[in-house]
Parts: sequence; C-alpha cells; structure tokens
Amino acid sequence: MMASSPKVAIVASGQTRMEPGRADAQHIDLIAEAIRVAFLGVPLSMRDVDFVIDAGSDVLDGRSISNCGFLGVMGAHHKEESRVEEDGLWAVWYAWQKVLAGHADVGLVVGYGKPSEASIHDFYASQSEPFYQRPLGLNHLVAAGLQASQYLHRWRLDEAALARVAAVDWANAAANPRVVVEEAPSIADIAGSGPVSPPLRELMLSRPVDGAAVVVLASERVARKLSAEPIWIRGMWAAMDEHSLGAREPGSFPACAAAASRAYALSALGDPNSVDLVEVSAHSAAGELMVLEALGLSEPGAGARVIDAASGPAINPSGGALPADPVMATGLVRLTEAHLQAMREAGTNQVNRDVRSAIVHATGGLGMQNHCVAVIGR
Amino acid sequence: MPYDVAIVGTGQTEHARRRTDVDQAGLAREAALRALADAELSMADVDSVVVASGPVLFAAVNQPEKWLTDALGARMKPVVRVTSGGGTGLAGAAFAFQQVASGIAEKVLVVAYDKLSEGALQYSISTLYDPFWGREFAVGIMGFSAAYWRARMDELGHTEEAAARVSVKNHANAFDNPYAHMKKAVTIEEVLASPPLAWPIKLLDVPPISDGACAIVLARGDLAPKVCSRPAWIRAISYYAEAENGAGRSLLQSEPLQLAARRTYRLAGITNPRRQFDVVELQEPYSYFELSYYEGLGLCAPGGAARLIESGATERDGDIPVNPSGGCMGANPIGAVGLIRLAEAALQVTGKAGAHQIEGAHRALVQSGGGWANLRGVAVVCA
Repeated sequence: MMASSPKVAIVASGQTRMEPGRADAQHIDLIAEAIRVAFLGVPLSMRDVDFVIDAGSDVLDGRSISNCGFLGVMGAHHKEESRVEEDGLWAVWYAWQKVLAGHADVGLVVGYGKPSEASIHDFYASQSEPFYQRPLGLNHLVAAGLQASQYLHRWRLDEAALARVAAVDWANAAANPRVVVEEAPSIADIAGSGPVSPPLRELMLSRPVDGAAVVVLASERVARKLSAEPIWIRGMWAAMDEHSLGAREPGSFPACAAAASRAYALSALGDPNSVDLVEVSAHSAAGELMVLEALGLSEPGAGARVIDAASGPAINPSGGALPADPVMATGLVRLTEAHLQAMREAGTNQVNRDVRSAIVHATGGLGMQNHCVAVIGR
Repeated sequence: MPYDVAIVGTGQTEHARRRTDVDQAGLAREAALRALADAELSMADVDSVVVASGPVLFAAVNQPEKWLTDALGARMKPVVRVTSGGGTGLAGAAFAFQQVASGIAEKVLVVAYDKLSEGALQYSISTLYDPFWGREFAVGIMGFSAAYWRARMDELGHTEEAAARVSVKNHANAFDNPYAHMKKAVTIEEVLASPPLAWPIKLLDVPPISDGACAIVLARGDLAPKVCSRPAWIRAISYYAEAENGAGRSLLQSEPLQLAARRTYRLAGITNPRRQFDVVELQEPYSYFELSYYEGLGLCAPGGAARLIESGATERDGDIPVNPSGGCMGANPIGAVGLIRLAEAALQVTGKAGAHQIEGAHRALVQSGGGWANLRGVAVVCA
C-alpha cells in the first residue's frame, strides 16, 4: 500500500443553502448555485476542470441516466465524466483516485438531491431486496427504528440519549448560515415530537432538504500554486455491510469501522480524537451515535459522551445530517462544511479553534448499509 | 507515476433473452465467480468492487449494488456503482482502472450486468428526456437514432446496404461465440427487407434484448504476472461526455467519441489505429452505429465507412476485424455490453478467444457508449 504522502488537495468547495422544498429552483439551478459559490474567490474556472464526477439518483430525479440532463451545467461538455449513484463523498473517492493516479490535474465533484420532488419512502423501499425483504414493508424509517431499538437495548441506554444528540445537532444547524432552520427544537420538543418508528421520533430522524454541493480537487502541482497551505485529502476508504438487515450486527456499524480503519491507515492517523473536527452523516440520532463509536471516537455504546466532551474534536458544527439531509449530497456537504471550517470561512458557525485536520463521513442505503470515511488536513 | 493495470480474469454469464433461473444478484454472482475462477483468486483477494448497470428503471431495484453485495461476497469492501447508460460497463472499468492505477487498491472486481427481461426497456429510456421540454416529443431511443442515421446517409454515404453488411457480419460471427445467444444467419437482402421500426432502422439492424452479466478482475501491474501467466494490459481508458441540447452538436460525427479516441490513443501511443490494432470490439446498439464508429475511431476517414465494410477489412479474415465476438448482435445485456467488449478484447490479446480467436492478436481497441449517443468511452488493451 502506498505511503500517505498527500498528493491531492481540496482547492475549492461550494454549496447551496439547505432547505426543505426549494420551489424556486430546479435541479439544474441547485447545481449551478453550488458551482458558482465554489469558484468565487479562487483563481480557477470551469475551463481548468479536466473531468467531472457526479453523484445523483435516477429515482429521486424521476429520470433515467439523469446525469445526462445536467452535463452542461456541470461543465462536463466534451470532458471526461462519470456518474456514481451513491452519496457525493463516493464521487470524491473516485475523483481523488483519478488525480492521485496522475491522470488528471483538476476534477470537479458534484452531488445534489431534490427529495422534495420525489418520494423518499419509495427511494429507500425500492432499494430493498425485492422478494423476501421488500414485501415486509421495510423502508428507511422502519430500518432506522429497528436499529435504534437494538442500539438502546444492547448498550442499556434510553431515549433521552437520542433526544440529546438531536438537540445539539439542531442547535448547531440553527447557527449555520447555510441551513434553513426556523427555530431549533429543544430537548423537550424532540422528546415530545411525534412517534414515527419507535423508539425514534420525528425530530430524531434526518430531515430531507433540497441542496447541492461541489468540491474541486487538484493535484499537488496545481494546489501549491493556489495556496501556501493546501488542504489535502490524506486518506479515504469505503465499506459496505451486508444487505439483509436481520443479518447485520445489532447496535453497531462494523462497515463504518472498516472504512475508518483503512482511511486512518492511509492517512497515518493514529488517534481519531486528535483531529480538530468531525462531520458525520446519519439517518437518525441513534445512527449518529453509532457512527461516532465506529469511527473510534468513543467506546461502543458511549457515543453520547463524544457530543458532550469538553475536549476532543468538534462534532458536526454544521448540524450534521439530522437537520439537513440533501439525499445523495449529504456526505459531500459534510466535506464542504469541514473545508469551510478549515479555511475559516464557515461564518456564524465557525468553530473557535484552528481546524488543521478533520474526519468526514458519509452513509448510504437502507439502515445505513454503506459507509465512506475521509481524513483531510493541512 | 501511475501503476500499470492488467486484466487477470474475465467471466461472462450464459446470456439469454430471459434468465428465469436467477435473479439479478444470481446473475451478477455467476459472472463474478467465473472471473475469479479464471484469475484463480477468491473474494478474499479483492480489495474493492465496482458494479455497473443500466438505469435502475431497467429492472426496478434502486441502488442494486447494495442487494448484490451479499451474493458477491463483498461485505466490508468498498462497493460502488457507476451508471452511465449503455456504456456503463466500460465506465465501471474506467473507475476500477483508477483504483488500481492510483495504488489505493491492488485487485479490483468489476461486475456489469442488466436483466432486461425484468423491466420495460423503451419506457425506461423514454424517461431520459427532460420532463418539461423533452418527453412531449421523444420516445425511446430509436427515434433520434434514426434521425442520426438519415443525416449520415446523405453526407457520409452510410447506406442501408452498408449497415446491412454490419448486421450480416456480426450475426455470422456470433455463431462461434459460446456466450452469444442470438445465433441467426441473415443475408443483406433479409436485413433490407425486414420490417422498418423507425426507418431507416429495420428489425434486423437491431440487436436482441438480453439478460446477462460480465465480470473482470484488475490487478496492479507488479502483481499481475504473479496472478496470471498472460495478463491483458489496459494501456489507457477514457469516457467522455457531450452536453445535452448543444446547438453545435453534430449529427454526423460523435465528438465525445473522437475526443475519447484522441486522448486514449495519445496515452497508449497509438498514431495509426488501422495499422496498429489487430482487433476491435465495439458496441453497436444498431447496425449503422458500427459504421459511424469506424470513422470516429479513425479506422477510416469520415465518409469511408461504407467502403471499409464492403472491402471485407472488418471481417474476421480482414486486416482490422471488428466484433469477431458478434458484438451486440449476439447478446445485448446493455449495462454489461461495455465490459463484455473489454473482456472479449482481453481474451483476444491473450489468445483465449477460442473459435473466434483472431490469430496473433496483440493489440485491441475497445469502444462503448450510452446516453443519447452523448457518452462515449474508448480503451486500448495489449498483450
């Protein structure tokens, strides 16, 4: 395996505001908005982009090979382009490798989701194995509820732990200028919100929003021209758990741990708690705690302590995925948020420390079957 | 410097109009097991998996790679699906190529499949078009394809007879390919007299619709000789796009194909494709596309395709055989086709193609594409 010397940098990033139901914008407008923001303030333009990797969903878009509808706005005309049908962080994984291999200097990664124009229920239910699992009515809400129940049972926790993590996320999101939150719910609001999939309540589940995000990756040669202190992708890896929900390990995410372990090895990161910032994705409050544990930030079952810890990395200062889940771009937004923090450009939710390194996490699939972990840093 | 990348194993399923004995996962597994067996490897040796398949509407399972993971034995590995229309098999290989070339993975399994008997193909394709500005006018893929051909008839001489020769050649070649399920001898007269579907496209210009899968194992260059005595080296691979509704889009030549060929040839040191390639495997969704690709790939000058097929040069005993496997006319599981072309090229340059082997084939050209004729990929494979 190669050494962890950084060779690929994130030289620009951009995102739309994250809002449920952007009636003012079509998919193409969301993508254009994120790209425009990304190229503000960097001496790069679409002409400098060698290739485009995009992430989106035919099912959410209601359109086959839906990338074909957006090639123009993505600047992919007469360029190398590919569609990864998974969260945008996997598209970064692809683009990272392409630049790492020396086959290109500058790559644009685009992720977008407009769940307000689709049925998020159908999006997940149609992922389920069609013969034995789908007829049971399994969807992402049921899957998240079953997992949360197993989690609480296995580690002898109660619902209060879930309300607590959701409340922190919503408060962070309310401070984030890029997430539209009318009023952050309190712990009591969350604990009293409507039951959806026991033990999960409405405000413990991720809220679908419309949005897009982009990052621009560049080779070391280009990155050093643009910045004296580029932000490198130090290592990334991904891992898929098995599909059958009943066969998965209850109360933990071994696939997330597997992805983290390889990503840390590639990044020469020994102690994950030594990074300054962590941005994770999750479909539920329980899922978020399980991710924090799988990333090695706490012992199993003790993820809630990571949220409350006085020391250690800042966790989801963006608010994470519970208040804002632009499906297919959610993990990519974690990366753009981490990049903004590292550049000290986050605005009103800028953390009060120098962000020199960060762990970024994305998930996909029913019951968070798929995980991707990236380590970035100066 | 990137690592060299080799194909060390290939596998194809039994392709058929309808495979009722397996589901999608079983189909993908059949190809994966055959590729692993060919490479004498197991899933424990594989670092990463790339799945490629057509639009999910083709078979009504969203993000199907997640279901396939159990059947592929890929638990705890990266499993990523690339979808790029009809050429997605080659687009998937291009992603896997980067995983190996970058050094982040040593061995990668690519599985491409479509089970077209389980979905409504032309309905699915119709959803390609813009919901507000396209679907009112366009249905399926045949209408615009017919328009392309019609334009090329006058300007480039891509006559119905010339396209019929492609159909005759590829149908005949399929007889010697054990994986081709369409074994039907056709004559030029029969093709010309077959019922028009969207004129000038006629029934026998059109390949079958198939269930099928293909898998390959890629290995890092320094490890490949340890895995297999005769690796097939991917010298270069590219996949280009052309934006929708481009006012300047040419109906005559495929610009993304020309761009992909130019870049791939440059990386692979190809300056005279007609002379340097021993065999070509390309994806002909309709017969006439093959004529267009002769020109786009530089096997002849623009306007020279009809003469090239008439000369017999692209027959199996010609100097530049094209689709000795029978191409899509033998089997057409769309999402797998691009990878099948790549696998067939690997078989040819390693002398393992059996009854349709081109003697002494050393360097092969691969083409595949999709979308509304706007996504085009090219690869060069050498012994």
